[in-house]
Parts: sequence; structure tokens; C-alpha cells
Amino acid sequence: MEYVNIFIKASFVENMVLSFFLGMCSYLAISKKVKTAVGLGAAVVFVLGITVPINWLISNKLLSADGLLGTDLTFLRLIIYISVIAAMVQLVEMVVEKFSPSLYSALGIFLPLITVNCAILGGSLFMDSRGYRLGEASVFGLGSGFGFFLAIVAIAAIREKLRYADIPAPLRGLGIAFIITGLMGLAFMSFIGIKL
Amino acid sequence: MDKNSNFYTITYAAILTVVVAVILAFVNSSLSPRMEANQKLATQEDILRSVGLTDLEDAASVYEKTISSIVIDSKGNVLDGISAEEVVVADEFKKPESEQKHPLYIYTGEDGSKRYIVPLYGNGLWDKIWGYMSIQEDLNTIAGISMDHRGETPGLGAEIKDSPEQYNDPYIGKKLYNDSGEFVAVSMVKGGIKEPDHQVDAISGATITSDGVNEMVYRGVDYYLEYFNSLQTQTSSK
Amino acid sequence: MSEVQVAEKKQTQLLGKKERRLLTDPFNDNNPITVQVLGICSALAVTVAVKNALVMSIAVVVVTGFANLIISLLRNSIPNRVRMIVQLVVIASLVSIVEMVLHAFQYDVYKQMSVYIGLIITNCIIMGRLEAFAMANKPWQSLLDGVGNGIGYGAILVTVAFFRELFGKGTVMGFKVLPSWYEPNGLMLIPAAAIFLIGIIIWVQRAMNKKLVDIS
Repeated sequence: MEYVNIFIKASFVENMVLSFFLGMCSYLAISKKVKTAVGLGAAVVFVLGITVPINWLISNKLLSADGLLGTDLTFLRLIIYISVIAAMVQLVEMVVEKFSPSLYSALGIFLPLITVNCAILGGSLFMDSRGYRLGEASVFGLGSGFGFFLAIVAIAAIREKLRYADIPAPLRGLGIAFIITGLMGLAFMSFIGIKL
Repeated sequence: MDKNSNFYTITYAAILTVVVAVILAFVNSSLSPRMEANQKLATQEDILRSVGLTDLEDAASVYEKTISSIVIDSKGNVLDGISAEEVVVADEFKKPESEQKHPLYIYTGEDGSKRYIVPLYGNGLWDKIWGYMSIQEDLNTIAGISMDHRGETPGLGAEIKDSPEQYNDPYIGKKLYNDSGEFVAVSMVKGGIKEPDHQVDAISGATITSDGVNEMVYRGVDYYLEYFNSLQTQTSSK
Repeated sequence: MSEVQVAEKKQTQLLGKKERRLLTDPFNDNNPITVQVLGICSALAVTVAVKNALVMSIAVVVVTGFANLIISLLRNSIPNRVRMIVQLVVIASLVSIVEMVLHAFQYDVYKQMSVYIGLIITNCIIMGRLEAFAMANKPWQSLLDGVGNGIGYGAILVTVAFFRELFGKGTVMGFKVLPSWYEPNGLMLIPAAAIFLIGIIIWVQRAMNKKLVDIS
């Protein structure tokens, strides 16, 4: 049950995009069409779901003072996390290129940019600062990815509809996207405190 | 040399790794004494805050002079060979209850009066919350409390730290045991205080943080009840 | 001196017109947050208080500046296949050092912001400037470009933090500014407020600077 709670918390209450506003760059750039948003979201679920548990293992079993190497190497934490993420994204890139070339070209530069997506590194850093166990960390990774997926598909759908709205010139595009994201963030606050 | 040859790439990567590792290790080892000292000082200041000592110029020496500490196990027995500084409350929190160790700090004032300071640790709304509660020598009346958090909402849950006069001071003078001698601790309640000895006002708009505080206070003191009982039988048998 | 020689001399001035523009463009016309759409992530949680925003801005100026400098110095020697990794390693190392320095010298700020300092690594501004500028320009210019973008980022951050702290708590840098009859506006303290404020800043900026309308 605890695992379900962590998953729900990570996807709704503590949505990476709408509660912590991480992952905004690719979120704003990719969200113009729902189809590409779905592709990017799926890639993020995969990357988060794998990198968070791997980084947990590295941080707790390798870098910590009572890990395999015996000394406290936690100052290497950031470098190792980002390297794991870079490697995983490289893998995802190769898989997408092979199985869906159209998605690959639609995502363009934003597929490798998942590496520097704050939400991905944020997932590992939050996992660290909250001291989860391995199982909890894995569920947290999947939940965060799922939350990102929900958020990016939702705003893509909204922005597609917005194209037909009459927005004042200085507010068009980026400005209104920010305001809407803020409103969605407010809406997601209603999930605070949900516990099963 | 061909920049894109395998040999060059691998050598480059290897050299970069070594240089980076050396630089980081150097910075880490030269700064780590300061980092640890900062952490230690912050803990000491939190402990002193729970007995009402704030804004001290030299918290470290006040701490040296007035605070002693012991560690007890889950049954209330004093453990030798381990100092309170070595016990990381956050880590103990994750262990099963029977394996947990609990540090206890004892403050001795200039007039010889003692306060027992108990660490608190629990879950807030977004992340962990923690603190220290100091208890008078009668092991029943609260002398003070200090609280901290990592990610509570400013203006709401974060008030446990930002507004001590409003949410810490009311604990002073409250009692842990009710008239029938049962341990009830002190809780934050909404909608008005009905039991003045055991209740304080909750933070409006921060229900979950307030619940978290109640839970951590109850459980945090509960760990020490067996030890406190043994202290009381000692003093009464004198 | 022939014209060509005069032109070449101009190009390597220390603070010539081009160099000064590297510092000032990112403030308005090419602002990393409101125009380039980079670096928004860490912008939001740290803008609750001006002090935190300042610390974050200084950290980003330092990391962007030095990362640009280092990569520019190395730009001709980096093997193509590991380009991104090298950039990431340089950024991650600089951020690790900044984190340790904060931990050692400003512990209370570090405690509040440690996750977000780590997230500077993924701050798109830094990667973005490395790829767009440092890989193809000389070290001094790259340093200026990095510092300029960091300042542009900082300007937005501090502005948002100023309004959030002022209306959300009545204080600026911890000093009480608004009189006590002011009831702090809780809306300003939730993260969504930062997003609204940035949206409004974009609106104002594009209304004043017509060149930027419909740019993104």
C-alpha cells in the first residue's frame, strides 16, 4: 500500500512539472502537438523509471561510507548521476531511432536533451534527499515519470486548442503558456494530502 | 593526432576523469572540516534553542558547558561506548523499533536545574520534519521545543520554524501526562483548545504538517518513557 | 595601417562594443528565460525569498561563466563523440564545487537549497550557451557571454523573488518593509505564483519590446 501511495504522490500531489516546475524547458518546447508530447512523455517515464533505482544503488552501495568502496565518495554523486542519465538517454535514443524513425525526427534535439531535463536529475536528487529504500525509490521514479507524462500531454492538448483563441500579441505563445501552466499548478494543489 | 580516433577519445576521457576526480577530491577534503563543523554547530544551536537559548554568540562553548548526552536503546537501557553525536536520528528512523538507538541530551543550567532534551523526527507534508523538545526535571512539563523542516510550504507548514513565538512557545508549560498518569503528549488541534494542558493551536491551512508534528512529538517522547520511568524510580528510592 | 589590420585589431579588444553587447544582450533582447526559454526549472522554487534568488543567480553566473571559459579553452581538443559528456562533466564538476563551497561557508542557505543547486547542472542555459557559443568562440568572449547570460537569468529571478517575498511575506531580504496592517498574500508563496509572475514579465517585456512578439 505504501508503494501505491508513493506512486500517487509522485504523479499527482508532487507532480514534477506542475508542483515543482521541473522539466519546464522541454515541456514548453515540445508541447505544441499532442503526438510528440506523448512520445517524449513515454521516453521520460522510461528514463526516470530506470535511472532512479540505478542511482539509488550507486549512491547507497558504492559511494556511501559503508558501501563497497569503503570511503565516503558522496562528493562524486552529481557527476555519476548525470553520467548514468546520459548513458540511459543514449540507449533510449538508439531504441527510438530503430523502432520509430518518425517519432525520432519529430522529437529532434529534444530526445538527447532529456539528459539535461531537470525533472530527470531532480528525480534522483529528490530520491536521495528523502532517503527512500530501493523499492520505494523505484516506484518514485516510475510515478514521477508518469506525472511528467500526464502534465506534458495535458498542456499539449490545451495549447493545440489555444491556437484558435484570440490572445493579445505580447501574451501570445510563451506568455500564455506560462499563465496556463500556473493555473494547472494551482489545480494540482487540490491533490495535496491524498492518501489511500 | 587524429582527434576522432578511438585512442585519442579514450585517452582524453581518461585524463579528464582523473583531473576532475583529483580536483573534486581536493576541494572536498579541504572543505570537509568546515562542512562538518557547520553541521555540528547547526545541531547544537537547535538543541540550545529548545531550552530557550537563541541568538548565542558562541553557541559551541555554551553547548560544551551545559549539555551532556547519553544514548539509550529501545528498552530504555543506557548504552556505553557510543556517543550521542554518532547517532543519526534520520537513519535510526528507518530501522525497526527494536534496533533503534536514541540520543538524549541533558542541559544543566547555572542554577543546577536540569532539562532533558529529546530529538524529534517525522514526516511533514512534503518532506521530513524534525526538532528537539526539552522537558523539565519532573519529566512531565515541557520546557521548550524547536522545530525545523526541509520542504514545507512557506507561510504554512514552514511556520513551525519561521514563527517560533506562535507555534513553538505555546508548548512551554504543557504537560505530557494527564491527571490519571497516562502519557498523552501535546497535540496541535484545530478549532479551539479544549484541554489546555495537552493542546496547542494548529497551523491554519497546514493540517498535514500539524498532524506530522503531533505524530513526531508523541512518538519522539514515547521512545524515552521507559528510561524516564527508571529515572523516576531512582529518584524516588533515594 | 591597412583597413584589414585595423579591423583585426578591433576584434580582439577587451571590452569593445561586441564584448559589451555579450554582457548586455541577455538582459533584454536575448534574455535566457523570457526569450530563449531556458533555465526556468530551478528558477521557481528558489524565488520565494530574494536572498535565495541572489545565491542561485550568483551560482549560475559563476558556473556559466567558468564552464564557457573552460570549454572554450578546450574546444579544439575535444573529440567529437564525447562532446556532450565532456560538457556535462565540466558543468557537473563546477556545480559540485559550488555546492561544497556553500556547504562550508553558507550552511543555512545550503540546507534550504541543496537540491536546487544540484539542478544547476541541468540548467538548460549552461548547456545551451556551451553549444551555441563556447564551442565556437574565444575564451574571453565566451566568459563574457556566460556571465552576461547568468546576469540576464539573475535579473528575472531576483525580480520574481522581489515580488513574491514582498507580497507574500512583507519582507525583502528578511527586512520587514510593508507595515503590519498588510496581510501577507499566501498565493505568492506557492510555486505557481512564480510561473504567473514570469508570464506577466514576458507580457510586459514583449509589450515594450515589439521585436520579441511571437518569437516563441
